[in-house]
Order: sequence, then C-alpha cells, then structure tokens
Amino acid sequence: MTVRLRIVPVVLVALILLALVVAPAFAAEAPIPKNDPTSTQLVEKPKEYNGKTVTFAGEAIGEVMVRGDYAWIHLNDDAYMELNVEEGAKLGGYNSGMAVWIPSPLTKQIDTYGDYKHEGSIAQISGTFNAACKEHGGDMDIHATTLTMIRTGHVVDDPVPPWKAALAAMLVLAAAGLFWFDRATRNRIAPHRGV
Amino acid sequence: MIVRPRLEDHLVIGKYTGKVVIGVGLLMLIPLAVSIGFAEWDTAIDFIVAIMACFAFGFGLQVVCRTQKDLSWSHGLVVASGSWFFATALGALPHFLSGHAGSYLDTLFDVMSGYTTTGLYLLQDLDHVSMGLSMWRHLLTYAGGQGIVVIALTFLFKGTAGAYKVYVGEGKDERLLPNVIQTARAIWLVSLTWLVIGTVFLGVRGMTLGQGPVRAFFHGLWVFMGAWSTGGFAPQSYNTFWFHDLGYEVICIVIMIAGSFNFALHWAMWTGNRKEIRRNVETISFFVTLSLTTMVATFFLAKANVYPDAMSLARKVFYQLASGHTTTGFSTIYARAFVTQWGPIGLIATTVAMAIGASACSTGGGIKGIRMGVISKALVQDVRRMISPESAVIMEKYHHIRDTWLTDGLVRGAMTVTIAYVTLYGVGTVIGTLYGYPLEQAAFEMVSAASNTGLSCGVTSPFMPEVMKVTFTLGMWLGRLEFMSVFALIGYGYAVVRGR
Repeated sequence: MTVRLRIVPVVLVALILLALVVAPAFAAEAPIPKNDPTSTQLVEKPKEYNGKTVTFAGEAIGEVMVRGDYAWIHLNDDAYMELNVEEGAKLGGYNSGMAVWIPSPLTKQIDTYGDYKHEGSIAQISGTFNAACKEHGGDMDIHATTLTMIRTGHVVDDPVPPWKAALAAMLVLAAAGLFWFDRATRNRIAPHRGV
Repeated sequence: MIVRPRLEDHLVIGKYTGKVVIGVGLLMLIPLAVSIGFAEWDTAIDFIVAIMACFAFGFGLQVVCRTQKDLSWSHGLVVASGSWFFATALGALPHFLSGHAGSYLDTLFDVMSGYTTTGLYLLQDLDHVSMGLSMWRHLLTYAGGQGIVVIALTFLFKGTAGAYKVYVGEGKDERLLPNVIQTARAIWLVSLTWLVIGTVFLGVRGMTLGQGPVRAFFHGLWVFMGAWSTGGFAPQSYNTFWFHDLGYEVICIVIMIAGSFNFALHWAMWTGNRKEIRRNVETISFFVTLSLTTMVATFFLAKANVYPDAMSLARKVFYQLASGHTTTGFSTIYARAFVTQWGPIGLIATTVAMAIGASACSTGGGIKGIRMGVISKALVQDVRRMISPESAVIMEKYHHIRDTWLTDGLVRGAMTVTIAYVTLYGVGTVIGTLYGYPLEQAAFEMVSAASNTGLSCGVTSPFMPEVMKVTFTLGMWLGRLEFMSVFALIGYGYAVVRGR
C-alpha cells in the first residue's frame, strides 16, 4: 500500500469527526419563517389587516416589560434579525418590527433580547393585529395568544480592529504633542499681532 | 467695497473655533466613560479616536492662531457657525467608526441633527447600537439644546467681552444676567436641575413599567435629554412608543413643553416671577396655535374614524402635536402612520405646528412664538388703525419679561426671519417633490428638518437621495442658527475670495 492510500482512511475519519462537531451548529439554525404580512405591510396597510389574526416572527429586542399577567415585547423582522452589524451584517436600513402584548408566562421561553452585546432570540407569535388598539390608547400592536421559539439568541463579540487601536495611539501622541507645544509657547505672541 | 479679512481676523476666528472644538472633545469623555463602564471596548476606542482628533484640531488651531485680539460682531457670528461645522465633522467620528452609518454624509446628517436638536437620523440598526454611542447621540442633542458655544463659554472662555458675540451668533440673544458667562452658567443651572428631576421621574416610571433599574435609568436620562432639548432622539427605533404608557407620555409632554420655553422665562420663574408664564407673549402664542392645530387634527381624525375612542384619539393627537409644536419630534405612532392613518389633513396640521415651533432663546426651533406674537399684534394694530380716525395714534405692546411697544423695526425684523424660514421650507419642499415625493410628505419632512423638529412621515431614510440629505442637513443648520450666522460665514468666505 502506498503512502497516499494509507492517508485516505485517516482523512475520512477526520472528515466524519469534523461533521459530528459541526452538525449540531447547523441543526440549531432552524429556518426562519417568512412573515406574511411583514411589519412594513402592517404599517402600510393597517385597515386591511385590522382585527385579523396574523402570524409574525422576529428578533426579540431590548427587554420584556411585564405588566401583571401580560407583558410587552417587541419583535423586529428587519435586516438584522439573524445577524447584527457588529457581526458583519450588511446595512439594510432602519429597524422595523411590531409591539406585541402577550401573556407574560409565554415570554419565559425567550432567553435573549437583542442589544449591542446580544443578538436576540427569534420568536414566532400568533394573535390579533390592531391598527389602533382600544385597550392600549390607540397603539398599533398585536395581541398574541401563542409563542413558538424559532432560534435562541447569542452573545455578540465586537473585537477592536488593530488599525483602529493604531489610529487611536497616533492621535493620542499628536494631541499630546500639540497640547504641550501650545502650553510651552503660549506667551510668545508676535508684537505686531497684539492689540 | 468688500474688505478682505486680514490675517488677524483669521487668527481670532481660528483661536475661538479651536476652543469650541476642544469643548466638544471634552464632552466626549462622558460617552467614553459609559463605554468603559459597560465594557464596550470597540466603542471606547472609537471615542478615544474622536476625542484625540478634536484635541489635535483644537490645540493645533491654538498653536497656529496666536492672538490677543478680542472678537468683533462679525467674528462672533463666523465662530458660531464655523464651530458648528467643525464640531459636526469631528463629532461624527464615533458614528462613522461604529459601522452603523451608510456613509460619512449620513453621520454628518445625524450629528447636525443632534446639535440642532432636530432628531431625524440615518443611523441603521439603532436597536443594536452600544450604550456609549447612545449616550453620545443624546448628549449631542442635550448639549446642542443649550448651545455648544454656551458650553465652551461656560468652561473655556475667560471673561472675554467678545464671548457675548459668539453667544448671539448661536441664535440666543437673551442676557439673563449682566455677564454673558454668568448667563451661560444660569442656563446650565436651570437645565441641570431639570435633568435631575426629569431623569428621576422617567427612571422611576420606567421601573414601574417593567424595565430593569439600569435600563430604566439610562432610558430615563436619554428620554429626558431628548425631551428637554426638544431633540426627539430616543434609545430605541420605536421612539417613545416603546413604553406604551400614558404616565410616561405625560411626563414627556411636561418636559417637552418646559424645554420649548424661553430661557428668560425659565429664569423669571426661577427668580420668583411666576406670573410671567401667564402673561408672556410666547406662552400665549404657543397655547393658541397648539390648541388650533390640535383641534383641526382631532376633528379630521375623528371624522376618519382612525382611533377607536375619544381617549385614544385625544392621547395620540395631543402627543404628536405637542411634540411637533415644541419641535421635539417624539412620537407614539409609526412614522408611516402619519401617511397611512393620519392622512393629508393630519400631516398638514402637524406641519403647521412644526413650522411655528417653540420659543426664542430656547432649545427649540421653528419660526418661534415671539415672532408669531409680534406679527399677530402688528396685524391687530393695522386693523385698528384702519377703523380708527386718521388722527388717532394706535399703539400696541406685547409682554415678554417686560412690556415692549411694537415698532416698525421690530415687526420688520420678525417678518424678515419668518420669510426666511418660509423660503427655506419652500425650497426644501420643491427639492423633495422634484425627487418624486408627494407634496404634503415633502413639505412635512422639510419643515420637520428646518424647524429642528424631527418627526418623520417616512421620507427620511438612509436610501433617500444624497441631495436631499444635504438639503435637510443645511436646513437644520440654517434653521437652528436662524440664518444670520451662516450668512456671515458665507460672507466671510466670499470676502476671503473676492475682497480687496
């Protein structure tokens, strides 16, 4: 058996091991259902959807605000619901989403709310869309009755790029040098410039 | 003959512009501290870069522009507008380095919007920005409301007589106390007292609404800054709709209205002259025009059956109109809901409220209540003259801190600035319509930018044409500095090129 042939089983075993390690990560990436209607459609055509039951998925953002038996959550179905800018998402305009009024026990399934350091969990809710909710002072919202978790959230790293650190160091030196020079030469004003 | 500025003129302008830019750098120490506190290291480096750029620029100007000459009136105006230009260019660095902006133009738009207390923004994925950058956005608008020159006056200018000239150049001309430095400090005393009280109220309310203590505090602080400065920035893309609470909205309305009042009125109240609030021409003008625009919007929205009951209708209409009239820009409806739910009449009523705007020498923008008061009084005077015998002497007066007789000069001054605002609104509207936006939406957005309000009906977006971004940015700048300083800067540039 040549050396090349002896390498084949080793490579195969390595590939199988790699697949076993990587597979759970792919398995966790459940597909995100496409919203119909989206938050943009709901805002653009509120009369059309008013009072109808809608199913809506989005990234849980900010925080849950529990108000007794119910709670407010906000679900964003924008360009950043899977990946935010810090993780390299392409800029895709403003955030957009919907305010959701939901029984507070259901919100316990949401483990992460999106902010600078976190990509929030993606949840799908189902409920009644209100163009101007009577219960909530005319707010546009969805009164949800069910919540299904689509994807758990995660911590977002935001390392400092080396070029930025180098730029900062250079500017510190430049500012310090000019500050020192300004102090050292402050009283040397050319006679013709004085008043 | 236009006189070309001499070297000495350039030096004095450079020296004081440098001081203001150093002030902006010092201000950035606060968001830097917040970034470090929350272990946002990338953001912290962004702020170190920006602070050092401000210091290098400011100290560089101090070194190059050595002079003991004091400021003249024209210098003061050029320093005010020039400082705003450089403070915007350098203040935009943290926004740009964050990666949340589509271009440097977008960041200039946002920072100009902050300084001018407008509140429109082009920053993308706002819901994921760092605490440090959020702090900077709101601090920009809070500092801009008091006037960045006022900040520099307070901390960096040492008793120079020319300081008053820069202060006036920033669109403020009330001298609350004999000394302008004392006036700047008085403005800070009033603002910081409100800051503490407002933040406590909003923070405690936020906690009762289900926010954690840290978020409730920072949201309270930032929403206060957005309301008091009539800036309209908020930490979430949902703006104050985020809170879904009447109590929170009431606190915001109180702070917005207080922020839109003249600092001279605040000072009169502060020093015990409580009657002033009922007698002042600006408060009277404000309540009359706010009531009228609210009634018009309420009538048509009720007719269109947009809201399910009277309470919801009143709550939504009054909040958006008060926000528009005080030129704050907070909203509890989606931006596009102005178009898809409120319709043309709702848009026009809000546009009129924004166009009139807040009080002079306040944190707000727009034509201003005092000018509306003066023009209304002049109209009454003319009508009275027409129906009186020819020999009758008809005089009108208005009350602002003290009684003042209406003179032709006063009326002409008020009319000139009003016409300048209307022209600015008109030019921006035409540009918007040329790009294909419906007339009422183009007008709404341009008036919002030039009156430094910040409400949007969806026209402002990172994807709007670059020309419109530039138009809105210039509109914010001209509107906030009330034209004269910017004209002085343009005149200065012209004199440099064409003067003899």
